[in-house]
Order: sequence, then structure tokens, then C-alpha cells
Amino acid sequence: MQGYIVRRLLQGVVLLVIVTTIVFAVGRLTGNPVDLLLPEEASEEERQAMIETLGLDGPVLEQFVVFIKGAVQGDLGVSIRYRQPAVDVFFSRLPNTLLLMPAAMLLAVFMAIPLGILSALRRGRLTDRVSGTIAVLGIATPNFWLGILLIYVFSVQLGWLPSSRMGDWSHYVLPTITLGTFLVAGFMRLIRSSMLDILDSEFVKLARIKGVTEMKVVWKHCLRNALIPVLTLWGVFMGGLVTGTIVTETVFAWPGVGRLTYEAVIFRDYPLLQAVVIMDAVLILAINLVVDILYAYVDPRIRFT
Amino acid sequence: MKNHRSKIVYLLSLLIAAFVWTPLWAADQKGTLIVALESLGGQSMDPIQEGRPTNAHIQAPVFDSLLGYNYEKGGVGQGVATSWVLSDDGLSWTFHLRKDVKWHNGDLLTAHDVKFSLERTMSKGSLSSRRAQLRRNVTKIEVVDDYTVRIFTKGVQVHFPSGLSRSVFQEGQLMPKKYIEKVGEAEFRKHPIGSGPWKFVRSVPGDLIEYEAVDYPHWRGTPKYKKLLILLVPEESTRVSMVRTGEAAIASISPEAIQEAKAGDLKVMSVPATMQAIFQFWGLYQPQFKDSPLNDVRVREALSLAIDRQQIIDHVMYGQASWPMPFASFGYSVDMDAERWMQWSRHALRYDPGRAKQLLAEAGYANGFELNFANTALPGTPYMTHIGIAVADFWNKIGVKVKLTNYEWGAFRTLNRGDQKKLAGGASMFRTAGRPVAMSRYNVAFGVKSPHRLLGNEEICTGICQSYKKLYAMQVTQQNPVKRTAMTNAVMGLIAESWLAVPILEGMGYWAINPKLVGAFKPIPGRHEFGDVFERIPRPDQKAWQ
Amino acid sequence: MRKLPWVSMFIIGGMVFAAIFAPYLTPYSPIDQSLPDKLLPPFWEAKGSTKYILGTDIFGRDVLTRLLYGARVSLIVTGLSLLFGGGVGLAIGIASGYIGGRLDSLLMRLVDAAFTFPAILFALLLAVTMGQGLDTLVIAIGLLLWAGFARIIRGEVLALKQRDFVALAKVHGCSELRIMVTHILPNVMNTFMVLITLNVGAVIVAEASLSFLGAGIPPPTPSWGLMVAEGRGKISSAWWLSLLPGIAITLVVLTFNLFGDWLRDRLDPKLRQL
Repeated sequence: MQGYIVRRLLQGVVLLVIVTTIVFAVGRLTGNPVDLLLPEEASEEERQAMIETLGLDGPVLEQFVVFIKGAVQGDLGVSIRYRQPAVDVFFSRLPNTLLLMPAAMLLAVFMAIPLGILSALRRGRLTDRVSGTIAVLGIATPNFWLGILLIYVFSVQLGWLPSSRMGDWSHYVLPTITLGTFLVAGFMRLIRSSMLDILDSEFVKLARIKGVTEMKVVWKHCLRNALIPVLTLWGVFMGGLVTGTIVTETVFAWPGVGRLTYEAVIFRDYPLLQAVVIMDAVLILAINLVVDILYAYVDPRIRFT
Repeated sequence: MKNHRSKIVYLLSLLIAAFVWTPLWAADQKGTLIVALESLGGQSMDPIQEGRPTNAHIQAPVFDSLLGYNYEKGGVGQGVATSWVLSDDGLSWTFHLRKDVKWHNGDLLTAHDVKFSLERTMSKGSLSSRRAQLRRNVTKIEVVDDYTVRIFTKGVQVHFPSGLSRSVFQEGQLMPKKYIEKVGEAEFRKHPIGSGPWKFVRSVPGDLIEYEAVDYPHWRGTPKYKKLLILLVPEESTRVSMVRTGEAAIASISPEAIQEAKAGDLKVMSVPATMQAIFQFWGLYQPQFKDSPLNDVRVREALSLAIDRQQIIDHVMYGQASWPMPFASFGYSVDMDAERWMQWSRHALRYDPGRAKQLLAEAGYANGFELNFANTALPGTPYMTHIGIAVADFWNKIGVKVKLTNYEWGAFRTLNRGDQKKLAGGASMFRTAGRPVAMSRYNVAFGVKSPHRLLGNEEICTGICQSYKKLYAMQVTQQNPVKRTAMTNAVMGLIAESWLAVPILEGMGYWAINPKLVGAFKPIPGRHEFGDVFERIPRPDQKAWQ
Repeated sequence: MRKLPWVSMFIIGGMVFAAIFAPYLTPYSPIDQSLPDKLLPPFWEAKGSTKYILGTDIFGRDVLTRLLYGARVSLIVTGLSLLFGGGVGLAIGIASGYIGGRLDSLLMRLVDAAFTFPAILFALLLAVTMGQGLDTLVIAIGLLLWAGFARIIRGEVLALKQRDFVALAKVHGCSELRIMVTHILPNVMNTFMVLITLNVGAVIVAEASLSFLGAGIPPPTPSWGLMVAEGRGKISSAWWLSLLPGIAITLVVLTFNLFGDWLRDRLDPKLRQL
């Protein structure tokens, strides 16, 4: 077991290096942040002055070495736009996103469970089709548009909910729906298919023969197992979740890391961009590792894959 | 006994005086003014950490500037300095300061603070965009007395004071010398104090900045609200929704959202003369473009005549734009004969497709030609790309085959450096910001060492490039205003007749306002960013909208 | 079991038809503007007219025309991205799964890196570096897709590797490349086809999100995603600008997903977890 963990950690480090190098190189290809910090009338002299002040002169390789040296000590540079350590800027916004993402995932799971169960139990019939359609509606609507529509209906016209920004619980409703609905389809599919597998299995048949009620069969035996694939395949959903977060945070003026990432790209804020990508990667790798360890604990076979 | 009683009388009279006196000069302040904006820049409250003047709107409530605004016409007006005089030899400017300006910690603002602020702005760690220029132009700053400052310049700098007004740049912002020297820079950035009508309360990164009104009368205008909140809301439709629901009182919008705002019973305010949308031709002086159609002035004039500017104003800008004046000039521009130029542009910039086709034929391009057109939108004016699309369509209609390429601003920014390979020989959209001194903007476009270098570079400068050089050098040190006006007009005429940088329309800044939360007020012409208006906004109970 | 998904096929066919024959179905150009006609509502509203059945946009361009031409753009973008991303993923999945060993480790590390690096970020970076355009968009969306394809195909190949016919081919002395192309590839095509149809929706929506972020198809070319993004600020004053293309997107994505589900059930119900 320990060997497994060590191997995974090493793999994680390799991944981090790959990701860091990619973002360092690609970021610098996109242009010079100085051009976005100066007014359009700035002269070449003024431009050079600012490049020097910000420490952006010097060969790229040298900058890379400096960066790596700092990175291993936890210093990911100073955000060019905010003039503060990039790591600080990241962590000041991270809690806001961390409040939103799990809420969205929970919402998606709670919506997907009944839809998935119903579809599995009534496979092939109308309920199956309808549930499938409802779930797919989540991915069929671009989520920025969904968010804007929700604001228009529930905030502007009905006045039931606030339109944007963070605040009390009512501020969470619309962004969570916007972010979570696209996950519903994927989750529902997974739950449905693993439910179908389990419903066919021996021990369920046994339970039925024993006379256990349908409800108990479903809940006790099937559901728990059905949720496992959701956990393991969540990495696939992360990609969509990250996109969704950028869009949702922009529409709802939610001061989180999604919006921060977008701005870092637009303003060519290399240190911030690097910090965001690296911290993101660290988080994802950490969570992946935890999930995989739990999974390995449960199923010894995969420890050796 | 007697002492005791007189003490009580003394105390009582103090109390009564306080009750009676306080309402007389304490401001009538209530409520919170909430404004939703698209960007808070780097959200720094230290004036030397922000390079772009447009982002200084978050600093404007807290800090005064040496020079200020002409609130009625736009352009430069009194600031902390009430008057400024050029010395006889033209090599120094003397500024006379107000005597009643206080810092938020109670200290009085003096000439020492002015000297300190300017030196700080010019210092090595400053990110002010004009730091290098200031260092070059300023040789010495002298404190004559507590309320008089004398700044010595290198050579005659006729327009030097304007650069210290927020209507031009933000380098004139004043910072407290004693406070910063006492607590240090890091602490100043966390707890900034200024001399403006609003005190800084807190800043939540990526979310908002909160200010509180000062409770004494302020020369810029005493705030009518107790608190000011500036919110960061990047998505425009959300900003409009917030004003509709009342979560914000004012929001910045683009012309696209004007109808939507009106559909929600909001007031739309247009700040006049904030920018000028233009198109310009790059690098035509380079030898490989000798035979390009664009090198014929008739072709360039034809391209201008082909554009129906009124239609673009009416339809692309929803009527919320004005007929332009010549390149980089506005109603509040200095050293200029506004009437004459207004008349000129009414005629010269007219819509005349017949004449345009005629000119093209005369130049030998009756069947049109290919034209590369780079479309882009500068920060704060996203509608520029729509104008670009409309212009390209008008050119297509007279037979020019336009190849339109869209560039995101950051990508465009890198194109005008070096030999300008991707732009040279073609046209692009651009803009000039609403500033009162036109000539400095001319130099940005037409000087041989300038960022744009539209007339020529250091190696190649012939014809109009040389003429411009001579004329510009003459006016930049001319102390006599009448002569300077004549020379400025000459430069403007030279460029206008060259059709190398052509105005399309004069744009505005647009604000959606909830009339139930905010009273009626007038914007400052040219001041899109609202930074100096917050203290002039009344409450709805004080002044209702018509 | 001749239960073909008629409705889905009809709608998909309709979209393809509109895309191919757009110029013949409408007299208007999707990009020429007519400013005085701007922002007219659909014909059934008060200010609308039958001249512009579904109304006009901010440049006076006919919305129906832009919807029809937009189908073309959406199909091209979707097709090319899926070919690019799916193709790369297919190749990597097969190579990685079949050859195994260090190549497999290396490629799977790359796949992991792809999952760890926010793909939308890559798309944004590409757009600001290369400029907006069809090529940028296809590459960006392709990069969003390839890792998912690679992982799933690899799983299939791992299972296939153990089958008899592969062992037989090896015994016969077939080269690795030959085995991959002639034996493995045809057997993963089913999965590949299902993945393609199920990802059509994701691509169309990704294009819309990228347009919203300013990294999609550059104007004035019409695309449904761009139309929704452009019209999003006018829900009160010009609802038809974003609602109509939005409905089109939703309908088409829904349809492709239902079709994909049917295809999956038909080809191999064991692919249920897709």
C-alpha cells in the first residue's frame, strides 16, 4: 500500500512539472502584460521603463529558473496586475469557489439520483426516455445563457432572488443551478448504468427472492454501489466544471478563482496564471490521490495496475 | 463657588453651541451609493501602483489631484491648485494651493505634500505610465512656502500642468508625506489616507471597494451619501439586472445595453466626448508600399467619404454618439478654434459615396482594390468592433474588398511594435481618449519615435513627415497662446488634409441609472469613469429626475 | 427491432440540409448589414414583418438566414474538432493500450496532464495568441476532447488485446502496426462512433462558451454560439436574438444525444457506461 502511495506521489510531481512547464511557456507566448497595463498612448520609452520595473526583462530561460527556485519554496511570484504575491491572490479567492463547486456537485447528485434510479427501474419505457431528456437538457444549454436567463426570470422579473455576487444563502441558488445542471446528465447516466448492472446481479436477485421490499433493495444494495463510478470518474467532469466555473463566476460576479484565471489570461498576468494553474493541479492531484487511495483500499486488484 | 458655576455655564454653552453648530456645517448625508463597474483594475489604492489612468476611478474618491476639472465644459480646471503661472523664461511653473485642504487624519495639506507626491510618482518603484516622461521633463521641485510650489522643467513645457489633472492623467494625485513617512509604504497601501471627499474603508479583492464620506465640507463637493460602494461586476447584462432590481444604483454600460436599460425603466446617461473612434493607415511611408493604392490621398479621402457616419451614430450607437471633430480634438480641447473645426468636419467628413467612387476612379481604382483592415476594441469601449464591422461594410459597398481581421486587444497591442509587419500597408480601428491637449495625442501618432509612427520613422521621414516635425516643434514651446493656437491649427490642418488618421465618430460613456436610488445630476464631459462625480450626485429626495 | 429513432434522424437531417443548402433557402446574406432595418422582431410581433420572418439583429441582418448559415458553421466546427480531437484520441488510445509498457505510461501521463490542466484555459490562451478563427477554434476544442477519447479507447483496447483473434494474428507474424490498424481499429470503431455522437453536443456548447469568453468564431461569421453570446444582453428588448439560436442549440444537442444513446444501445449495450 505504501508503495502505491509513493508511486502516485512521484507521478503527481512529474505531472506538476509538465503542467508548470506548459503554462510557463504558453503564457509567455501570448504577449506582454505591460501592454495591458499601459494606456494606449504609451511610448516605447515608457514601455521599457515598466518592463524593467516589473522585472520582465531578461531571457526566458533565466526567468524560468528563477521561477522554479521560488516555486519549490512556495513562492510563485508576484502578480503583475495586483502587485501582490500570486499565491496570496489565489488563496484569497479560493474559498469563494470552494463554496460554489461542492454545492453544484451536490445539487447535481441530488437531481441525478432520482432520475438515474427511475430510468434504471423503468428501463426502455417512457419514464426512462423522459428522465434522460431532462438530464440532457442540462448539457444542451450553454451555461452562461442559462445563468442570464435565470437572473432575468427570478431576479429581475420575479424579484425572488438576488441577481449576483456573494451573500447569504439566497445568493447561492442561481449560481449553483447554473453550475450544477450540466453535471446532471453525466451523473445520471453513470447511476443508471451501474444500477442496471447491480439490479441484474446475484445478490439482488437473492434479496428479491428473500422477499425484501423493492425500496429496500434499491436503497440499501444498489444505490451505494451505484455512486462509486461517480466518484471515480469525477476527474472527467472536472474539465467541464472548471469551464463552468469561469463562466458562472463571470455572469454572477462571484469573486472566485475561475474569474481570476480568465483575467490572468486576458491581462497576460504570467505569475498569476502560473499560480492558478499550478495550485489547481495540486488540488486536483491531491483529491485524485485521496479518491484513488480509498478505491485501492476497497479493491486490492487495482493497486497493481 | 463662582468658578464652579462659570465652569458649568461654559460647558453648557459649549454643548448648546455644538447642537446648534453641528447641523450647520455637518453634511446632510444618508444612505449608500452603490455603483457597479466592469473593472477595478489592479484594485490598488496606492496611486503609484496603477498604470492606466482609466483605472484611477477607484482612487479618485480618496485622493485629490493637483489640477482638477472644468465641471461644466470638461477639460482642465482648478484642483488643489487654484492657479498656476508660467515664469517669464518659460522654464518653471508656479502653483498656488488652497489653504483649507485636510488629510483624512486631520493634517493640513501643504506644498511639501505636493513635492513629496510628485517625487514619489517619479520614483523607481512607481508604475505610473508617465513616470519616465516626468523624470525627463522635471528638473527640480521647489517648495516656495507652505502653499506655493514651483516646478522647474527641462525646456519650455507649455502644457505641463494639464498632465497633472485627472482629466488627462493620474500622475497629479496627492499623497500624504508625513503619514507615509511615518507608517511606511506597506501600511499606507493597507490603510491609505488621502484628502478627497471619501475615506477608504475596505477593499475585498475581486469584489468591491467601500468608502465613507468625510463629514466636513469638501471643495470638490460634499458627498450626499454616507457610504459609497464600488462593485466589480464583469458581465454587462448582470450589471443592468442589478440596477433594475435595485441592487446597484448606477452601472457602466455599452451602447448595446441602452435599449435594455430603457426597457427596464432605467435612465441612461451619456457622458459626452469621452473618446473618438478612428481608423488609421499604418506604415505607408515604407518603400514596399510606394505603389499601394492607399498612398494616393484621393483613395484615402474616398474611404472617408464612403462612410455614412450618421447612420453609424444612429444605428450602431443607438443615437448616443456625436459628429466628430478632427483627429483627437473635442469641444473642450485647448489651443484650438473649435467653431472653425466643427464646420470643417461637418463638410469634410460627410457621406458622399458618389464622390468617393469618382475619386477612386480618378486614382485608377474604379474596380476597387484589396484592403487589410484590423478590427479591435480597446478596454472600456467594446463597441469599437461593431463600428469596425459597419465601416468595413461601407467600404465593401464602394467596391473595396476588405479583409477584416479581429484582434483581441492584448494581441493587437503587440502589433504596432518594430516594423509593424502585420499592420503596415493596411488600416485599423483605433481611438483617441477624451483629453484636452490634442497635440500630445498627435505626437503619439505622428512623431518619428512615437508608438504609432504613421508618418515616418527615424530612417524614413519625408514630405508630410518633415512638415509635421517642423510644425509640431514650433507649437510645443510657444508661450504666446494666440501664436500657439495658430500653430496648433496648422498641425491639425496638415493631418486633416492627409486623411491618414480619420475620425469616425465622437463616442460617449454610458451609464444605466435607477432613478429611484439616485437624484438627478450632470456628468463631467470627457470623464467616462465617473471618478470625480460621486460627490456631486444628490439623493433622489434632494433632486428628482424630470 | 427496426425501431429507428425517426425523430432524431429527422432533426439531424434537417440541420444538415439547412447547412448545405443555406444559400438557396434564403435570399439574404448572413453578413451584409442593413442598419436601418436593425432589431426588427419576428413577423408575429407588432413591429415585425414577413420580410424578415424571425427578425433582424443589431446590424439589420436576417436572423433566420444567420441561423441557417450558422448551422453550417456549427457543423463544420463540430465535424473538424471531433475529427481532430477524436482522431488524436483514437490513435493515442490504440497505441497506448496495445503497445503498452513505457509508451503507455508516457501517454497516460500526458492524458493525466490534460485532465489536470484546465482545457478551457488552453483554448483561451490559444485564442489570444493565434487570434480568433476557425483553425484556432478547431484546435482548441480538439484539445478539450482528445484525452477523454484516449482514455476510453485505451480501456477498450486493453480488453481486446486478450482476445483470441489478436493472439492468432501475432502467431501469424503480423507486425504491431498491422494488427493495430486491421484488427484493433475496426473493433473499437463502435465505441468511437458512439463517443463522437455523444460529444457533438459538448462541442456545440463549448463553442458557445468560448464565444462568450471572446475566444470563439470571430464576428461577423454567424454561429449559433456567437449569436447567443451576442444577444445575451438584450433579453428584454430583443429576446429573439438569443432565444432562437439558444433553442436551436438545445434542440440539436438533445437530438444528437438521443441518437447517440440509440446508437450505443444498438451497437453494443455493454457500452452502457458511456
